[in-house]
Amino acid sequence: MMSWVLRIGAAILLAATIILWWQSRPVQPADWTDAEIATLRTLTLASLPELPPDATNSVADDPVAAEFGRQLFFDPRFSANGGISCATCHQPIRGFTDGLPKGQAIGTSRRNTPSIVGTAYSPWLYWDGRRDSQWSQALSPLEDPAEHGSNRKDILGVLAADEAYAATYAELFGPLPDVATADADEIDHAFANVGKSLAAFERTLLPTKAGFDDYVAAVVAGDRQREDELFNADEVQGLRLFIGKANCTQCHNGPLLTNNEFHNTGLLNFPGDVPDVGRARGVDEVISDPFNCRGAFSDDPGRSCPELDFARTGVELVGAFRTPSLRNLENTAPYMHAGQLETLAEVLEHYNIAADAMIGHNEALPLGLNQRELRQLEAFLHTLAAPVAMPVAE
Amino acid sequence: MIGLWIALCFLTLSGLEVAQAHGGVVEEDDVCVIKVNYLRAHFKIYQPRISGHEQFCEDLPAASESVFVMEYLHDSLSSMPIDFRIIRDVTGKGRFARMEDVETIGDLDAATVFYRPPELEPDVYTVVYEFAEEGDFIGIVSARNPDNGTVYAAVFPFEVGFTGWGYWPLFVGLLLLVQVQYLVMSGRLRRKPNVSSGTAVILVTCVVSLLSAPAAFADDLLVTYTTPQGDIQINTMHSWVLHVETAAGEPVTGAEIDVSGGMPAHNHGLPTRPRVTAELGDGDYQLDGMRFHMGGYWEVVVTVTTCDGESVVIIPLQL
Repeated sequence: MMSWVLRIGAAILLAATIILWWQSRPVQPADWTDAEIATLRTLTLASLPELPPDATNSVADDPVAAEFGRQLFFDPRFSANGGISCATCHQPIRGFTDGLPKGQAIGTSRRNTPSIVGTAYSPWLYWDGRRDSQWSQALSPLEDPAEHGSNRKDILGVLAADEAYAATYAELFGPLPDVATADADEIDHAFANVGKSLAAFERTLLPTKAGFDDYVAAVVAGDRQREDELFNADEVQGLRLFIGKANCTQCHNGPLLTNNEFHNTGLLNFPGDVPDVGRARGVDEVISDPFNCRGAFSDDPGRSCPELDFARTGVELVGAFRTPSLRNLENTAPYMHAGQLETLAEVLEHYNIAADAMIGHNEALPLGLNQRELRQLEAFLHTLAAPVAMPVAE
Repeated sequence: MIGLWIALCFLTLSGLEVAQAHGGVVEEDDVCVIKVNYLRAHFKIYQPRISGHEQFCEDLPAASESVFVMEYLHDSLSSMPIDFRIIRDVTGKGRFARMEDVETIGDLDAATVFYRPPELEPDVYTVVYEFAEEGDFIGIVSARNPDNGTVYAAVFPFEVGFTGWGYWPLFVGLLLLVQVQYLVMSGRLRRKPNVSSGTAVILVTCVVSLLSAPAAFADDLLVTYTTPQGDIQINTMHSWVLHVETAAGEPVTGAEIDVSGGMPAHNHGLPTRPRVTAELGDGDYQLDGMRFHMGGYWEVVVTVTTCDGESVVIIPLQL
């Protein structure tokens, strides 16, 4: 009887030892193949193209407008209660997010506050892409009752009452219309100009080089010593999974690690809310937005709007949301369109299981990664952390 | 014993189907379907706070936040105002309650625990309700035909919390069915196309085209493409020039060309809706609005319509 107990005990001990050894054994990262190095290069900031011009915004690259926009961005007077600025939700210290599941301003916003860093590269703004430029996006929260809760006339009133603002506005766009006498069209144009100034500032918000970018530079240069200094074995394996078995680069591709497209990944509804149809409705909204690329307020005389012209609509977009950038995830929790997932570990588990979507169809397939691989992926994601560049002076 | 339970379960369910001749919730091939008269929708209920992505067809395990989802299998539902009501079962008929029983209720509002007034939902119909207590309930879904004012309704009795011992066999049977359904739906047994009609249509198109492409079109039409802006870069909108010619090498002019496509492995289409914007002559056509948003295997489906009929050609692409 005793010997049986001993034997079983010994077997368990042996098994535990083997499992522990397997879990903690050092893995010598294999060399990257040429094809892998080519993939890695497409993901680094070194491959980020020049800022695409925004023909719809004539002051997009005007430094005066950018500085003006920066001041407006942080000014709480443009709100119903005088206490809400863009920076209330888009906090620089949190990667221009707010650390909450859903934005909190005058009321509670519909979705999670997305970062605005690098959005100058995206054809679509918002989780559901319901705006098609940074400037048309910037207008929407100002009049959203749950956000700034203001209106275009009051916004122009605040500008007019501030001498410095009025002077800068006049320098950029001509005299500010008098809201008491101006017609609706003049007010709308001036309101659009506020958005264009905010956009000129937001265009300057770009990610800076992260540990990952340095690592790829070392790989490209063949500098093994530098590689080992920058990445540990888990981070290397995590990166290998990221571009391989874990399928991450299917959507998180390019130097900003997003394809800026819309995907349904089967997230659960936010407690108390019906499941969000996302892009299915967002695309209708952007097409009918008066401030869109085709509208009267665009500065592009040719009205060249290929994104709107070839925009996909339909039931396939039910429950689809825009892929966010993975750069600088450190301060942007909770994650997903309604902040449903609190940690990166939960996000990775979500993709690992890839359950059927509540509405529409989950495009992701189960990954079957083990706990060790999930930890390695998470270790890699932390190498994408880097401060945000904000070239306009504070 | 389990076999007996399943048999009992099926008996009960088929009984339900007969009882709900005017509309109700039934299982069809392991998929839960709500019939609102002749209009059908994929029906599922979630209790996300306690059971995550697990789907239920009728009865719910506990009083908790419950999300009811109807994915239309009939396009008409997307243009009909739909209302959704949940009442306590005051008919005394339990799971055999029918529309006739509901109609005899004097004060419907008094029995109502949740009501969403008629509303158009073009894509998918969802409601969320947090049950305050366990018990027997009846769901009533009605859709009004905007053309003639006819109202179609479905009635489905269900239980929250499974209070009665009498339903234990059904509980076990349903659990097994839900599990099988979950396994099938989650792809662990065999992946089935999801029920959103757009996706299903695209899938069917791809499958049909895939099967017929190599043989049927080899001696029919040849479609080739060039990319004037150079190699295809992902996430970049660009143009193609399509060249269409007959098997004999004659350029095909004046054709109507429709372009779609997607990634068969991911069950999604192109991120844009590209169009032929100009005919360039000699069988060449300008195709604008092309974009691919991930690397991998893509198929671009080119449908060429001429006076001679319609041909579908698939262009495979590895990006």
